[in-house]
Amino acid sequence: MKDNLLHIYRNTPFGRETLMQSIYFCRMMKNIYLSVYIPKHTQFLMYFESEVVTIDLDSSYVASPDAAQERVAKMIKEAGQSFRFLEPTDFTANTLPNLPANMTYMTCPRSIVDSTSHIGIGYIGSRVRRIVKNAQFPVLITPPSYKEWKSITVFYGGSKLGRNAVRTAFHMADRTGLPLTIFTQLEPKFSDTYEKNLKEGGLLDRIKQDNIKWRIYDGGNLEENLFNVPFDSIMVVGAAGHGSMKELLFGSKLETIQRTLPNPILVVGPHCTHSDDYIVDAPSTN
Amino acid sequence: MALDSKFSKILSSLSRWIFLFKDEHFLLILLGIPIGICGGLAAVALNHSIEICSEALHVFHGHWTFVFFPAIGAVLSIFVLSVIFHEGSGHAVPIVIYSVLRKGGLLRFRSSVSHLLGCLCTISFGGSAGPEAPVVVSGSSIGSTIARLFSLHERQRVAMAGCGIAAAISAIFNAPIAGIVFTIEIILCEWSTVNLAPIALASVTATQTSRILRGNQIPFEHFPFEFTTLDVIACLGLAVMVSVIAVLFSKVLAFAEHTSSKLASNIFVRGIAGGICVGLIGLFAPDVLGEGYHTIRAIIEQRYAPTFLILLLLIVGKIAATSLTLGTGSAGGVFAPALVLGSMTGLCYWQMLDSLWPSREWVGGGCFALLGMAGMISGVLHAPLTGIFLIVEITGGYEVVVPLILVSVLAATISRAFLPASIYYRELMDRGQLLRPRTDARILADIDIQDVIQVNLTSIPPDTPLRDFSNIIQRTGESFFPVIDPQNGKFHGLVFVERAQPYLLSQELYDAILVEEIIEGSNAHVSLNDDLLSVMDRFEHERTDVLPVIEQGRFLGAIAKSDILDQYRKELIVQTTT
Repeated sequence: MKDNLLHIYRNTPFGRETLMQSIYFCRMMKNIYLSVYIPKHTQFLMYFESEVVTIDLDSSYVASPDAAQERVAKMIKEAGQSFRFLEPTDFTANTLPNLPANMTYMTCPRSIVDSTSHIGIGYIGSRVRRIVKNAQFPVLITPPSYKEWKSITVFYGGSKLGRNAVRTAFHMADRTGLPLTIFTQLEPKFSDTYEKNLKEGGLLDRIKQDNIKWRIYDGGNLEENLFNVPFDSIMVVGAAGHGSMKELLFGSKLETIQRTLPNPILVVGPHCTHSDDYIVDAPSTN
Repeated sequence: MALDSKFSKILSSLSRWIFLFKDEHFLLILLGIPIGICGGLAAVALNHSIEICSEALHVFHGHWTFVFFPAIGAVLSIFVLSVIFHEGSGHAVPIVIYSVLRKGGLLRFRSSVSHLLGCLCTISFGGSAGPEAPVVVSGSSIGSTIARLFSLHERQRVAMAGCGIAAAISAIFNAPIAGIVFTIEIILCEWSTVNLAPIALASVTATQTSRILRGNQIPFEHFPFEFTTLDVIACLGLAVMVSVIAVLFSKVLAFAEHTSSKLASNIFVRGIAGGICVGLIGLFAPDVLGEGYHTIRAIIEQRYAPTFLILLLLIVGKIAATSLTLGTGSAGGVFAPALVLGSMTGLCYWQMLDSLWPSREWVGGGCFALLGMAGMISGVLHAPLTGIFLIVEITGGYEVVVPLILVSVLAATISRAFLPASIYYRELMDRGQLLRPRTDARILADIDIQDVIQVNLTSIPPDTPLRDFSNIIQRTGESFFPVIDPQNGKFHGLVFVERAQPYLLSQELYDAILVEEIIEGSNAHVSLNDDLLSVMDRFEHERTDVLPVIEQGRFLGAIAKSDILDQYRKELIVQTTT
C-alpha cells in the first residue's frame, strides 16, 4: 500500500490552512494518500508501540461534521489529491475512538487547543509533543497559514536521531526532486560525530557524490544563522539531539528552530522508523 | 507518561545482570512482586478511604438532605473522571479487557488513580457501586506501566497487566485464588503457564500486603453449615432464581447506560439526575446504598431478617440504584452490587422455602445467601469459577463447595441462554471487539488491511480490444486486471483471465470484443476502513477470490483471498509462539 498522511481536520479557517498544507505536502511528495479524520468525539487515542496517547480536542474539531466533510471533500477534490475519510472502527470506549498509529506521516498544527495565542510559532503543544515522542512516523508541524516550500533543509547536529532526519530528508528530496541543504551549527564537543554518524548510516558518500550543500556554521548563535534558511524551505529536524532525555524532552535545537522559523517543520521523533528501510543510493559516477 | 529510554535500557540490562540468565519467565515472576505490592496498596488505600469518608458522612444517613448526597458524589466522580483525568465514565473493566485482548495490555498511567478517586466519591456519598472495578483498572494500569518501564513486549505486558488485576482482586477480598481465577477466566481468557506464575506471585504478594495492613480477616464470616441431600436439590431452584435476577440486573444496567445518554447529553446532568433518583431510593431503602458489604455480613450472620416482600423490593431497589449510579456515568463496579443482590436473592429463596415447607429444617438463610452470591457472580459475569473460588475464600466455607459448584455452573449456563455476553463483555461484543486470543476473528483483526492490498497492478482502459488484452496477459502474466478509464480515473471493474478464457480462446472475437464487455458485473468492493473479518465475509458472499479497494470512487488496489491467508498464517505463528 502506498504511503499515507493522517490529518485531523479542524472545522475552522485555521483548520483549513492546515489542511491545505497537508494537501500540498501530499502533492509534493507524490503518491501519498491523504487520510482525513473528521472527529465526532472530543477525544481519541493513538496506540503506539509502547505508549497510548490521548488527544483531547476542543469543540471546534467536532463542530458541524457533515459540513466539514463536504468542505474537506471539495477542497481535496479540487486539488486532485486522492484521499479517504478515516472512519475509526476500533474503540477503547464508546466515545473513545482509536486512530491508527501505522501512518507514514501525520500533520499537526503547533497546538491542538482552541487558544489562538498558541497557534503561532514559538510554542508546540503538549499533545503534539507526545505524538512526536511516540510516533513511528515523522510529524509535519505546520505554520499558522498556508505556506508553499520549494526546497528542503535538514538540521543535522551530529546525533543518531539527526542522522535519521537526514535520511528522511534524502527520502523527501528523492520523491519531490527539490534541492536539499544540510544545516549544521557546530558544537566543538561533538566535532567527531558529524561525519562519523553520517558515514555509519551510509549517507556521507551520497552527500559528496551528489554535491549536496552542507552549510556548517562555526560561529554565531543558532537564531542568527537560521536567517540563512530560505523562507520557502521545509525544515526537517530530529526531535532530540545528543542528550539522554530523548523521550522526555525535545532537543534545545528543535526548540530554537520552532521558536525562530515560521517554516513548516517535519519532526523526526525518537521512535520514528519511517526511513529505516530507505536506502540512500549514491548516484552513479558515470 | 513518556519513559526515558536510557532509564529503561539501564533497568532492562540491570535485570538481566541480576538474574544472570536471560529467562523472561524469571523476570516476569519477579516483576509480579512490585506489581502485587502496588496493586495491594491501591486496594487497601481505596478500601480505607471509603471507610473513612463513609464514616464521616454517616451522620447524614436517614436525614432528608441525604437524598442529594449520591448526586454530589456523582458530580464529583464525573468531574474527577471527565474533567481532571479525561477518562471514560462508568464501570471501566471493559476498557481493561479491550486493552488486554486488543492492545497488548497498553493502559494509560492516569488510569491507576483516576478510577480510584472517582469511585471513592461515588461510594462515599452513597452511590450504589463496588470498589473492585476501579481497583482492577488501577492494578492493570500499574502493571502496564511497570511493563513499559522495563521495555517488555506485548505478551509480557499483558501478563503484567494481568498481575495488576489479580493483585487488586486478591487484596480487596483477601482472596488470592479468586484473584488468579478472575484474571484468567474473565480478563485474559486463556490459561497459559507463562502468565500463571507471575499472576500467582502478584496475587500472593498483594494478599500479603493487604493482610499486613488490614489484618488477615475473612470478609464474611459465617456459622458452620450442615448440608443434606435435600438442601443440595433445593439449590437447583436457587440457581434459577439467581439467574433471573442476574439477567434482570444486566438488562436494566444496559438499559440505563443506553437511555441515559439519550435523555441528557450533558454528563453532569445525567449524573445529578441519576444521583437524586438513587438518593430517593436510599431514603426508603438505605440498605441499597454504598457498596453494601455491611448488608451482606448481616445476611450471612443471620442478623438481617426483613420479610419476603421487603426483600424483593430491596432487590429491585438495589438493581435500580446500581443501574442509576453506573448507568449515568459515576465510577464504580458491579462486583459488590452483584454480591449484595446474590445474598438478598439467596435469603429471599430461603424464606420462600421456609414458608412453603415450614416443617423442614433447611440449612439456613446465611448459607443460601452465600450460594446466591456465587450464583449471581457467575450469572452476571458468566464466570462460574470466579464465583466458586471467591465465595469459598471470602467466607472460609469449604463445606459448601458442592452446592456452590452446582449453583454457579447452573446460573452461568441459564444466564448465558438469555444474555449472549456478560456485563463486562457486552460493550465489546456490541462493537465487535470481543476477540479472544487465538481465535479466527482475533487473528484477522490483527492484520492490517493495508498489508494485503496489491497496488502494483497493470490497469487497462475499458476500450482495449481483446487482442491487446491477450498481449497484456502474455506480457505481465497477471491473473486479473483493473479496468480504469485513463481520462477520468473511473474504475469500471476487474477482468479475470480465468473467466475471460472462453473469449480468449476464440480468435475471431479478438477484434470484435472490448475489455469493458467482459468485466465482472458485481459492484462489490472494499474500503480502507473495512476490517478483514468483513472483507472475508464479502469474499464468501460474492463468491470471488479478489475484491477491488475503492475510496472516494478511485481504485487503490485489490485484495486477494490468498494474500490474506498468507498473512493469516504469519500472524497465527506470531500469536501462538510464546
